[in-house]
Amino acid sequence: MDLAVSRSERSGAGRRAAWALLGVLACLAWVLAAHALWRSSVPSGLKLPHVDPRSLFSASYLSSSRSYFLLLAINSLAGKLVLIAVLVLYARRGQVLMRESAAGRIGTGMLLGMLGFAIVWLAELPFQLIAVWWERRHGVSHQGYVASVLDGFVSLGGEFLYISFALLVAMAFAGLTRRWWWALAAPVFAGLALLSTFLSVYLIANTKPLRNPATAADVRTLARTEGIPGTKAEVQDVHRFTTAPNAESVGFGPTKRLILWDTLLDGRFNRREVRVVVGHELGHLAHHHTLKRVGWLILFLIPAAAIVALATARRGGLARPEAVPLALLVFVLLQLLSAPLMNIVSRREEAEADWSALRATHDPQAARQLFVDLARTSHDDPNPPTWAYVLFEDHPTIVQRVAMVDAWQARR
Amino acid sequence: MNDHPIRLSVSDDLRRTRITVGLRLLLAIPHYIWLALWSFVAFFAAVLNWLLTLLLGRSPGWLHHFLAAYVKYVTQLFAYLRIAADPYPSFDAPDGYPIDLSIAPAARQNRLTVLFRLPLALPAILISAALGGLGGGSFSGSSGTRISSNGIGGLTAVAGWFVAVAQRRMPRGLRDMSAYSLLYGAQLWAYLLMLTDRYPNSDPLAALPEVPNRESAVQVRCEDDLHRSRLTVLFRLPLSFPHFLWLALWSIVAIPASIANWLITLVRGRSPASLHRFLSAYVRYTISVYAFLELFANPFPGFAGSPGAYPALETHIAPPAAQNRWKTLFRAILAIPALLFASAFGSLAWILAVLGWFSALVRGRTPRGMRTAGALALRYAAQMLGYLLLLTDAYPYTGPLLGDGPEHPPAPPVEPEPEPALVFAPEQTPDPSLAANG
Repeated sequence: MDLAVSRSERSGAGRRAAWALLGVLACLAWVLAAHALWRSSVPSGLKLPHVDPRSLFSASYLSSSRSYFLLLAINSLAGKLVLIAVLVLYARRGQVLMRESAAGRIGTGMLLGMLGFAIVWLAELPFQLIAVWWERRHGVSHQGYVASVLDGFVSLGGEFLYISFALLVAMAFAGLTRRWWWALAAPVFAGLALLSTFLSVYLIANTKPLRNPATAADVRTLARTEGIPGTKAEVQDVHRFTTAPNAESVGFGPTKRLILWDTLLDGRFNRREVRVVVGHELGHLAHHHTLKRVGWLILFLIPAAAIVALATARRGGLARPEAVPLALLVFVLLQLLSAPLMNIVSRREEAEADWSALRATHDPQAARQLFVDLARTSHDDPNPPTWAYVLFEDHPTIVQRVAMVDAWQARR
Repeated sequence: MNDHPIRLSVSDDLRRTRITVGLRLLLAIPHYIWLALWSFVAFFAAVLNWLLTLLLGRSPGWLHHFLAAYVKYVTQLFAYLRIAADPYPSFDAPDGYPIDLSIAPAARQNRLTVLFRLPLALPAILISAALGGLGGGSFSGSSGTRISSNGIGGLTAVAGWFVAVAQRRMPRGLRDMSAYSLLYGAQLWAYLLMLTDRYPNSDPLAALPEVPNRESAVQVRCEDDLHRSRLTVLFRLPLSFPHFLWLALWSIVAIPASIANWLITLVRGRSPASLHRFLSAYVRYTISVYAFLELFANPFPGFAGSPGAYPALETHIAPPAAQNRWKTLFRAILAIPALLFASAFGSLAWILAVLGWFSALVRGRTPRGMRTAGALALRYAAQMLGYLLLLTDAYPYTGPLLGDGPEHPPAPPVEPEPEPALVFAPEQTPDPSLAANG
């Protein structure tokens, strides 16, 4: 008898040890992957010199941009707080909406997931309208209030498709393996994220080929310099909604593209400044940032899905539709908590793209002027308060970007 | 119970005279002239009636009588033109015409609704345009294209004309649908001309004095309780996006499956059980998605199209039965009239959906009439799909059926009897016991 107990205890202890080892190995793999993704071509010992924003902008601009930024930041913060409150309420009461479904286990879960998104959209609508009002007041946006609401409503359809598919995968696996669905779902989500990044170029509306011969020539030259010859560039028509200039890099492999907003090419920025923007976006592509973002997303999703599985266990796990509102709350909370960390990652990648642009263009004066002009046209605060910087800024501040230009010049 | 002040009586026996049907549009020429004259006077009478009703709170007896006679005459004339009745109508609109109206005497009216009568009537005008109520009409689009709005009423007239010329009978379904659209149009005109302040009732089951209960291989059972969740109503369109995607994927498979079903049914004279099961699920799923999207039912539908999964508006499809090979061979051609009707019913359903969206969002309920009219439209769509996908060789039934509302569930599905020869029959031969009322 004692021998049997001892064997059972030993076997239990062995299992626990095996799980612990597996956990340690998984954590190690996570850390190694994060380390690999964290690597940057920006010199590790680079010290950014101090730049006084008053040397770049007038006092009135600094004051006006601060008030502009602060209202948007506080509005966004208030929106997030309301979002959490609404989701807490939804997690507690959301399951009553199950009576509105005749769709079975997974279909009902999808409905609850979509309605959760819908309620969130409704709750955030006033904050969205305040942001539109503020941007219109400062001439940054042309978008009408009704158009803004309608755009949000229509784009809900796309979000509903995403959440439905995610819940289909998660709940189907949860039906098969109650506790370990997240381990099975994670590769599917990773594949989806990869596919979505690969196809993202086709999801961008109102694009046309880049016809400006000078910019097209710059794209060709800089792409060769940055080691990604043949990269295509397109122009996105956004001037009807905003005056803010922007550009982005999307896709990877054969679908990698450089997207320039037409507001960047409307004459407010000279050719040298546009070259810096092009160099920056090509820098993202040259350093595989689009793929790295997928990597970071996966690194976030795996533990997040595991935590969701743990949190919903008390409601019978994600196999049951009544657990969906709680899962939504937990997931959004994790997303909000991890946002400052993701901002750090994003700022690091942006800094690397800036560095890459400086190396490719060898034009620090243009880069410096670009950052100042970018701030002015977007009414951006060049040096926001630390709390707002931590919570919201996914790019280095204008002051940091100018400081990097100075640092690059100093190293030449 | 129908307590609307404008009611329909139907004493038509469905028999038609070939010669008068064939020449109907020409025979009615004197009526066109009389109608134009009467309409001219009625226009001024209507304006006067509006002013006096606004002032007195009630339509003066003599004006009410004149305008009621006008609405009655127009209904009788259009019943004749649309082959919904056979006898040549009288010019003074006497009682006793096979499709006739009874219009209640003048009663007190709410002055506020009198003042805003025209804007208030806009939703009913839209429904009437889709139904092809009295008059129909047309309008020019910005591109210069001219769009006819004869609606379902116009289609019943054309289809009825061909069948009546061929068979000397008007199919019951076509006649009933025509009568329903005429009544809705008459109620709309009565509302616009201040004969009543009761809004037109779109409930097809309340329109006709007697609604048949037919057995059919494809039936829709409505158990909806009219309750609507405001939250799901507000987001009904984006909530349907996953279903659109799934329906599109399913359709990609359903199209080759229906072709295979056609070939096998042509050879064997019966749809194979596996394909029948698959396509039945597809039809059930399609109808449940549209019922949800167009607010004719409330619950979010499932994705499998399983039998019994959507009781609010459930499509019942009978097991495979023998089918006429000639009908199978020419199914695509024979289905053209049904496709036209389905398209017209689809327009009606969309109008009801848009109007119903506002109503359900405000009240948390959908109006019974709109729901039942929507159920009729979806039942026709289900029967059309069943016919097109070779689940049955029974032609879709155009008129209202008791099963279109929850109070009267339809008879259980039965296997339709095979028909020996190819007959072009847009409607099944009417059951004599269900024929004319009165």
